[in-house]
Amino acid sequence: MRWLHGLIGVLQRLLAFGRRGRLQDDIDDELAFHLEMRRREHARDGLADADAARVARRQFGNVAALREETRDMWTFPSFDSFVQDVRFAVRTLVKAPGFTAVVVLVLAVGIGANTAIFSLVNAMLVRGLPYTSPERLVLLIGNVKREAVERRGGSYPDFEDWRAQSASFEGMAAYAGIAATVATGEGDPARLPGEAVSASYFSILDEAPAMGRTFRPDEDEAPGRAAVAVIGHALWQDQFSSDPGVVGRTFRLNGDPHEVIGVMPPGFAGVGDNARLWLPFVNAYSADRLDSRGTRWLNALGRLDEGVTLEQAQTELDAISSRLEAAYPDTNEARGVEISPLSVETFGDLRPAVLALMGAVSFVLLIACANVANLLIGRSETRQREIAVRTALGAGRGRLLRQLVTESCVLALAGAAGGVVLARIAVDALVASSPVQFPSFVEPGLDLPVLAFTVGVAMASGVALGLAPVLHTRLVRLGAALKDSSRGSTGGGSRRVRASLVVAEVALAVVLVVGAGLMIRTVSNLAAVDPGFDTESLLTLNLAIPVAPLPASELAAMAQAPGARPPLAVPPRDLLDRLLAVPGVVNAAFSSDRPLQGGGSAVFYAAEGHEVTEAETRPRAYYHRVTPGFFETMGIPIVQGRTFLERELRPDGSSVIVSENVVRRFWPGEDAVGRRISIGSTTLSIVGVVGETLYRSMPANPTADPDLFIPYAETGVQSVILRTAVPPASVVPMVRGVVRDASPDIVVFQMDPIDELVAAQTAQSRFTTWLMGLFAGAALLLAVIGIYGVMSYLVAQRTREFGIRLALGAGRRQILGVVVGSGARLVAVGVVLGTAAAFGLSRLIEAQLFGVSAADPSGLAAVGLLAFVAMVACSVPALRATRVDPIVALRDE
Amino acid sequence: MGDRTRSGGGDLLPGTLDMLILKTLTRGAMHGYGIAQFIQRASDEVLRVEEGALYPALHRLEVRGWLTSTWGTSEHNRRAKFYRLSALGRRELARESDYWTRVASAVTRLMQTG
Repeated sequence: MRWLHGLIGVLQRLLAFGRRGRLQDDIDDELAFHLEMRRREHARDGLADADAARVARRQFGNVAALREETRDMWTFPSFDSFVQDVRFAVRTLVKAPGFTAVVVLVLAVGIGANTAIFSLVNAMLVRGLPYTSPERLVLLIGNVKREAVERRGGSYPDFEDWRAQSASFEGMAAYAGIAATVATGEGDPARLPGEAVSASYFSILDEAPAMGRTFRPDEDEAPGRAAVAVIGHALWQDQFSSDPGVVGRTFRLNGDPHEVIGVMPPGFAGVGDNARLWLPFVNAYSADRLDSRGTRWLNALGRLDEGVTLEQAQTELDAISSRLEAAYPDTNEARGVEISPLSVETFGDLRPAVLALMGAVSFVLLIACANVANLLIGRSETRQREIAVRTALGAGRGRLLRQLVTESCVLALAGAAGGVVLARIAVDALVASSPVQFPSFVEPGLDLPVLAFTVGVAMASGVALGLAPVLHTRLVRLGAALKDSSRGSTGGGSRRVRASLVVAEVALAVVLVVGAGLMIRTVSNLAAVDPGFDTESLLTLNLAIPVAPLPASELAAMAQAPGARPPLAVPPRDLLDRLLAVPGVVNAAFSSDRPLQGGGSAVFYAAEGHEVTEAETRPRAYYHRVTPGFFETMGIPIVQGRTFLERELRPDGSSVIVSENVVRRFWPGEDAVGRRISIGSTTLSIVGVVGETLYRSMPANPTADPDLFIPYAETGVQSVILRTAVPPASVVPMVRGVVRDASPDIVVFQMDPIDELVAAQTAQSRFTTWLMGLFAGAALLLAVIGIYGVMSYLVAQRTREFGIRLALGAGRRQILGVVVGSGARLVAVGVVLGTAAAFGLSRLIEAQLFGVSAADPSGLAAVGLLAFVAMVACSVPALRATRVDPIVALRDE
Repeated sequence: MGDRTRSGGGDLLPGTLDMLILKTLTRGAMHGYGIAQFIQRASDEVLRVEEGALYPALHRLEVRGWLTSTWGTSEHNRRAKFYRLSALGRRELARESDYWTRVASAVTRLMQTG
């Protein structure tokens, strides 16, 4: 009940604050009324008017004071004294500028780092996906159960069945990433990423076009029904000169005229986050492909019905998958669907990394606070007399406490202000220099939640810091300070508090240093991964060669049937010769897919004489079409046999080159050349065996399947791999020139030195490690400063004792031992606690680690380093202790 | 703050002013002057409420939600602030008067012992 009264009081006061002026007038009126009634009373009693008024006023006493007092009922009484406290705190702090500057700086760094990392957390995990009710958005990812469940994507017939048979979804749309050559007549034609999407895609995301419309259902029903495209804002700006009348305009897409029907708003880049344009799903693929239940490449985007859980939807899809498996055993054996929240798929691996960093950075702040607490305790000791005097003059304990907390809160808020400035700079630098590609809509900025977080952290630190010296003054009797001299007035309490602060700092630093050690090992392990080919001096690019002018129907056939050979504007092999002639290029080859892009197509194969029919272990491989020079260009060793011969380069060729694991599985220790494998009804004979590579992805291929290489056949889009004798980036302009000379219609895209692609694969680990290392370094530095400060303090405290000991004949070595020993004890306790904590916490970053376990000895090395640095920090004050002059120490009282 | 004014009841025992105001208002809405007059008259001029204590007390009780107030017209056709007992105030009055009865009778018993 009491609390209710309190609550009402607070609310009333808050309301009254909003109408302060009215309140004052009302009180004046009320008092005037009372005065008037009194005057009437006296007048009735027979007094003259003037006298009556005078008597009434006299009776009333001091009206101004009464007014004031009455009004005060409506205000927060502590507010005034709060303002007083703040003023006093600011005055006191300004009087000690050195102290204040150090504390504010330390807190600014700690709070700033937290603000910066939190702004990432906020942008990714709090704000999340930029769609309506993003929690109901899911991806449906087709999978296959082999030794492990592998994600494979879905086929179009499967998708249609998912959509038709499920009841858990408000909507479901197929989508797949595509690349298309866009020519609008403005500037060079460009090869751009886009998405093929079902008509319902946009409404599922609840994204409306900025201009025009999105696809109608009938445009997505049958291939070729309508040659239409929705374009992104960036494409509209770049290739259509921001034409306000763009809707209805026609442009060439892969050579075919397409009509622009809508422009999406800025910032929208589709679920894949890189799309520049969108096509009706069925228009992007051949009818054969759409009809094939066994050709799986698409993902589906779904919006769950309100109130439907992920588990319910999963159960439903599992049932559908079983039905499909029973109905189509040939194509659907062991096939299922995984439903995964879109946010998990979008932020997936960034989420644990960012949370680990948030944890690390909060440790840095804790260490910074421990240091500041030490400084504040030191300061409160020198202020013992001031505090004691104020106590003697009647300041209540509560009031003093409030004063101390106010002071540290003022410090913390000043630190927060500095921190916000630092964070602003840091966030921009972080995002700019980050090797990690954040989703495009993630804009870490200092918005309201971030600022609220910062102020919250600052206030929490402030209160904690304010209580630290109090905790210790509670142990030291306040009164004692008055009687005592300024020196030696602090007892064991202070030492204990300081000692535990040091232990805490060391423990926290150990956790961070161990974490950073594990991450550094991870990065060096990643760098040491051998991909099986030579990554130095390799340039890779993709070429889109248009066909020689032909009817559109034949062009479409070319794009949809990779096996067909329509005449291209420039024969690709001629182009390869031209590229080989570029100065600095020493070798060149074509491949059907670019290295390290997870690419290639998976096929099931059978090795002659080894029939495996179980879905789980049925041999599967990724195949790539390559020219004879591919292996030499890539630096992949040929272990057995040879590379392709010119005459084998035919679409219907029967030669194959396999990677070593095929031989290890089926013909271990034997010569595999001449052996045969079959893919479907085609039989291929092995002409060569090459080393196993991480051609598809590093640090590991997405699946452990081996690779098959089959002879190159002409296609419009292919990857080129160039080995250079000069830095690969330096030949880029000449490569572009050569291609343009061959034909201005050929589009060069995704041109990168391979070592950059390798670097991109490990970007996140390096980013996390870099920040983790930075935080660990900061933690180490702060901890060392803390240890040094406390040890210096302890030595100063015991100067007299050391003087006496020395005077009584103690050796300097002994003194050194005493001081270093007491420091070592603290460090040891901190190290033990920290190591235990690190062991527990490092499990949290296990997902970030590669080739190193959470219990790796590199952690031990890190601990050793920390202990060593800590001991150095102890020994400096210890050496000072040995240099105490007994005479001076004793006289100095 | 409460402590500062609670004892300012002049001739009143500390803490009783609040209770007397609440009790007075059980008779209906009244303005400050009326409350003072009533307490004085009803106590046969024994209890005198000073303005210096009355108004802070009224406003304090209002802030706590024990009283509500409205502006109305007095018997002399002047704008005046009328106070009314709230449900919370009624409950508080019951509590305080219970307490008062117990204390008063205890004090009385004590004073009557030889």
